[in-house]
Parts: sequence; structure tokens; C-alpha cells
Amino acid sequence: MNRQNRIWRTALLAAPLAVFGLFVVWPLMSSFYYSFTNWNGFNPNYDFVGFANFGKIVTDRLFLNATINTAIWMVAAIVLPTALGLGLALLLDRKLPGARFFKSVFYLPICLSAVIVGQIWIWIYQPDWGLLNTVLRHVTGAEHNWAWLARPNTALWSVIVAWSWQQTGLSMVIYLAGLTGIPGDLLEVCEIEGASPWQRLRRVVLPLLTPSTVVVVALSVINSLKGFDILYIMTGGGPFNSSDTLAMHMYNESFAKFRMGYGSAISVVLFLIAMVVIGLYFRQLRKVDRIYG
Amino acid sequence: MQKITRRAMLGTSLALPALGVARMAWAQAGEVTISHYFTGDLGMNAFNAQVEKFTEATGITLRDSPVGHEDFKTDILVRAAGNSLPDVFSYWAGARVQFIADAGALHPIDDMWAAKGLDDVIARPVADSATIYNGQRYLVPMNYHYAGMFYNTKVMADIGMTEPPATWDDFLNLCEALKAAGITPVALGSRDRWPAQFWFDYLLLRTAGPDYRARLMAGDARYDDAEVAAAMAMWKDMFDRDLFAANANADDWTDAADKLARGEAAMTLMGTWITGYWNGNGLTPGEDYDFFEFPQITEGIPNAAVGPVDGLVIAHNAANMEGAEEFLAFMVSDAGVQAAWADAQGALSANVNVDPAAYNVVMQKAAATVAAAEAFAFNHDLATPPPVAEVGLSMFARFIDDPSQTGAILAQVAGDAAAAFDE
Repeated sequence: MNRQNRIWRTALLAAPLAVFGLFVVWPLMSSFYYSFTNWNGFNPNYDFVGFANFGKIVTDRLFLNATINTAIWMVAAIVLPTALGLGLALLLDRKLPGARFFKSVFYLPICLSAVIVGQIWIWIYQPDWGLLNTVLRHVTGAEHNWAWLARPNTALWSVIVAWSWQQTGLSMVIYLAGLTGIPGDLLEVCEIEGASPWQRLRRVVLPLLTPSTVVVVALSVINSLKGFDILYIMTGGGPFNSSDTLAMHMYNESFAKFRMGYGSAISVVLFLIAMVVIGLYFRQLRKVDRIYG
Repeated sequence: MQKITRRAMLGTSLALPALGVARMAWAQAGEVTISHYFTGDLGMNAFNAQVEKFTEATGITLRDSPVGHEDFKTDILVRAAGNSLPDVFSYWAGARVQFIADAGALHPIDDMWAAKGLDDVIARPVADSATIYNGQRYLVPMNYHYAGMFYNTKVMADIGMTEPPATWDDFLNLCEALKAAGITPVALGSRDRWPAQFWFDYLLLRTAGPDYRARLMAGDARYDDAEVAAAMAMWKDMFDRDLFAANANADDWTDAADKLARGEAAMTLMGTWITGYWNGNGLTPGEDYDFFEFPQITEGIPNAAVGPVDGLVIAHNAANMEGAEEFLAFMVSDAGVQAAWADAQGALSANVNVDPAAYNVVMQKAAATVAAAEAFAFNHDLATPPPVAEVGLSMFARFIDDPSQTGAILAQVAGDAAAAFDE
């Protein structure tokens, strides 16, 4: 490689690397650093406390609660949009009348910001005049004023539903693209050979959709790890921490309780969890690559 | 030639961000930077109008970055953490200012206070309780509020209330009468948690007294004490009697205010900022709404008024210290600014030169009530350190969700609060 090319490469890489270093690597390193301190955010002076913050995590009841919720959130945020997206894609792929219209409609929510989606669903869940309770009242004829977002046993799931509503459109579009790649004559052969619709789906369509599934699950994992904004808007982790996820708990400890050191320790744990999830995912991805690559 | 162009490109790509930083620093010279939470319903236009008066009088301009009231609580911390506090920022007097004064983030203003003669300008009770931390002054009170039992006058007239309930029994009887008439006695919108705290504050203040409460807020008493249990039992009794609007945790305070305005509910325990909200929606003070003091419960206990003080403070590393001090002094000592500001905010001025006649009838009554009170106490989340306040606010939300768990809640909160105090 000649010298000029090297200069070019360095120059072109310098800017993105600088941005990455400044906004990703540097904050990450800072979090690691502060997780060993008792910094409160305001005070320029702080002490090093070793692993005390990590010790506190073990006994923190709210941390355990947030960990369980994070697990629920991740599993639901992967399974629901994927399953619903696949279902919608299979329905719309059958050239139903108005399919193009419905494709646009189902895709629309992904174009909205999480703040807007959150606000829409806050209105839907409003206990007195919200859409959900109003429909329930009309359908059942009984009084319904359940405060979906304000009761501890429904808050987290109500947010998960709103989240799935937004994310499903994206999975649907990816699956629709995948479906167009399955040759029609292959399905025709299956039909002639006497495969039932279920066998065709189970033995032919789903295996051929594996590359799409890989993309859908990848996006779901990434998006679910990022899924802080909609929870912040809809419940803020409440009522009384019942819908806290680790990201929400970290935020509350850092910014509401002024425990930057402890909040950083939680973020380090969250980072390690994310690394494990991503590691597992990449391992699966390599397997898929070997088969379909 | 080509090489030079490439080098120039690389140089420019590195220099541009640096230029941006330099430009920001340059823009700060000569003006005062400020961040505040006076936005939306809380009067951004009114604040800007007062700032204009300051600029006219002194020639100093302000560069402001207003942040919504709830978001401000974290935004200012983020700025402090990033060592980029504005010269001046609004903050709530009490434990929160104490917290950041302890952290060394604030600039003491004793010299400015003396030079500007603010002792003669600021009402003594507010000055004593809100401006001094660790023996030094750090804050000027922009305005203060009083939390009272606001009610819909028409609803109360219909039910036959001729004078405010003087005792707790009178109050409960009034509530029962309202319930019998098909009206929700008390509206509460505690989605953001803090609106619930005034109930806890007043019940505790009226039964255990201001001294005990001050000890609880400072960590010298515990949440599993008999005093706290007694106050909570009274609150629980109200829920058992079904006196509160359903799903309080799903509404915010303006939803509760709206229920009152529509006549669906009769009363709400809220700060005087609710008058600003109602006036903005076309309600007339005295005619459409009024308030009474939280009733006496235990005889012989000093009568305390609860409320927050909104203040302005200066960052310890303010770039324009002189301009910042000038701004603080002007905003509190100019009677015209204070009168207009208090009026727009639905707040009370701590400036003794503001003529009470400038207030509407309800605010005049609020000013007189605070003046006659034997003690002025900050509400819970401003009276106790932020980590403990978080524990308390979650306790209120959990209690409202299921009052039958009071005992278990208090036992857990006692441990959590003690741990937070020990940090």
C-alpha cells in the first residue's frame, strides 16, 4: 500500500474513531472508574470505596427486582414482536385485498418516537376515559377503571404491550422481504407432494426464513437493551419501582438519589449482562452462518 | 498540491470542533448564563418578562436554558457532574440546597446580601429558613408557596359549608356529607408521587408537631416510630372511608385540579401554584375556588404551614460572578419584579415591599395564613436529603396503592431511610 493511501485511511478513520472514543469508550471507562467511588455527582471530592458498591448490589432488594424485570422485558421484547411480526407477515403475504394498505399501517408505529408511542399508550391506558377501559366497559357491560400503568402488577406488562405494538411492524417488514425470497414453485411442489399447510410452514417456510429471523432477533435484542425511553415516559419505573429495569434503576440511583458511584456500579453490571447476551447471540450467528453462509 | 489539500482537510476536520468549543466560551463573556425550571404552566413568559427588566436596568444580558420542572431535577445534576453548571440556576430551598452546598457546588452570597441590604428586603422567617446553610447564605428566595386545602366554592356552598372545618372530626364529617351527595371529597393526583406528600406532612405536623417532624426529616427519629404510625393510621382511615378519588396514582396534580374545577371533586391538598393553573384556565379566585387551612388535630401542637421556597443560587465556578450576584439581588429586591412574578406564578413574594393588596383575594389569605402560622416547614421532599426523599416518595405511592399494607411499608421504609441516612 502506498503512503498516500495510508494517509487517506488514517484521515477517514480519525473522525469516526474520535467520535466513538469520545462518546462510547470514554463514558464507558468513566463508568468503570466511578463505580469504585462514592461520588454523589455534585461534589468534586470523593473517595475510592473499592468493591463496596458491588457488594451493595448483592443486598439491594430493588436491584434484584430490576434484574427480574429486565429478564422479563428482554424475553418479552424478543418473543412478542418476532412472533407477531411473523404472523402478520404470513397473513399479508397471502395477497389479501388491501394488503399493501395494511403493510403501511402496521409499519407506521416504528416511524414514531418512543415518546410519542408512550404518550399514545398512556392515553389508551388512562383508567377513566382511556380507550382500553372504554372498550372493556362496552364489551363486558361492567365497570372497568383499572389503572394499568399505576398498579404494580400490570405496569411492566402494559409497557411491554406498547413496546411490542411499536416494534412488530419492523419484524413484519423484514419477514415479508424474507418471504418474497422463497420460490413459489418450491411451495407448489410441496403442495403437490401432499404437505399440509402446517407442514409447509414448519418444514419449508420457517427454515428458509432463518436469515430473516436472525436479523429480527438481532434488532429485537439491540432495541430491548436500548428500551429505556418508553419506560421512562410511561411509568418511570413506577409505581414504587414495580416496573424498574436495570437501566431505570441505574438512572434513579444516579440522578434521583444522587448516588453516581452506585449507579455506575449498576451500569457496569448492566454492561456485563449485555456483553453476555451479545456473546451468546454472536455464537448462534456463527452457527447460522455455517449452515446458510 | 494534492497533498496540501488532504493535509488541510485533515487539519480542518480536527480544528472545527475545537473552534466550536472556543466559540461557546467566547459567547459567555459579558452575559450571565442561567438554567431554570420556570417553564410551561410554571410561567416561562413571566420569567422572561422579569429578565427583560433586569437587562434594561443593568445592561447585562442573560442566556437561559429552561428545563421542564420534573426534568430539571436530573438535568442540573448532569450539568454539575459534567462540571458545566450555569452561572445561576433555580433550586428548591431546604435539603436539596443543603445537599449541593455540602458538595461545595455553590457560591456563598453573604457579601452581596450585606452590600445590597437584603436583610431589610426579605421577610425574616423565609430568610432564616431558606437562605442559610452551614452558617452561610447561598440562596435568594424568588418566591414561596403555601400548601392548603383548596376547594370548589360552589360545591361546598351546595353542601352547606358555612365555615371551614376547625377540627379533624369536622373535616371527616364534611367529607362524609360530600360523599353522601355523590361528590368525591378529595382529589389527589400522585402519579409524580410528590403531590401525596402534603398529606403525610400535615398529618404528622398536626399530630406529632414540627419538632418531631424536623427530627424525622434529619434522621434523628424513625419511620417505625409510634408518631409516624399514628399519622399514617389517620391517612389510612381516610382511604378506608373511601374519601379519595379512585386511582390517585394514575393522575397528575393537574388532573386532580381539573376534577375540582369540573365539580366532580370538592377538595385537594395542594400548593398555591394551583391558583396560577386555575387562573390560567379562566377560574376566578374567591368565586370559583378558595382554600382553608389543614384542620387542627391535636390541641396544643404549634400550627405549622407547609410549602416550598423557589430560590436562585450561584454556581461556585460561575464565569460571570459579578453579573450573577447583580442578577440575584435585582430579582429579589425589585418590588415591581417580585409583584409581577408572584402574580404570574400564583406564588407569594418574600419581599416585604410587595404590597399584599397586589395579590388576589385567595393569595392575600394565603399570605396572611403563613404570617400567622407558628412555624413554616418545607414539604417532605425538600425537608429531608434527596436519597431519603426518594424512599419517602415511593412509600407514599405504595401506601396509596394498598393502604392495608401500612405496617409492612413503614417497617421497610424505616430500614431503607436509616440506611440512606447512614451513607
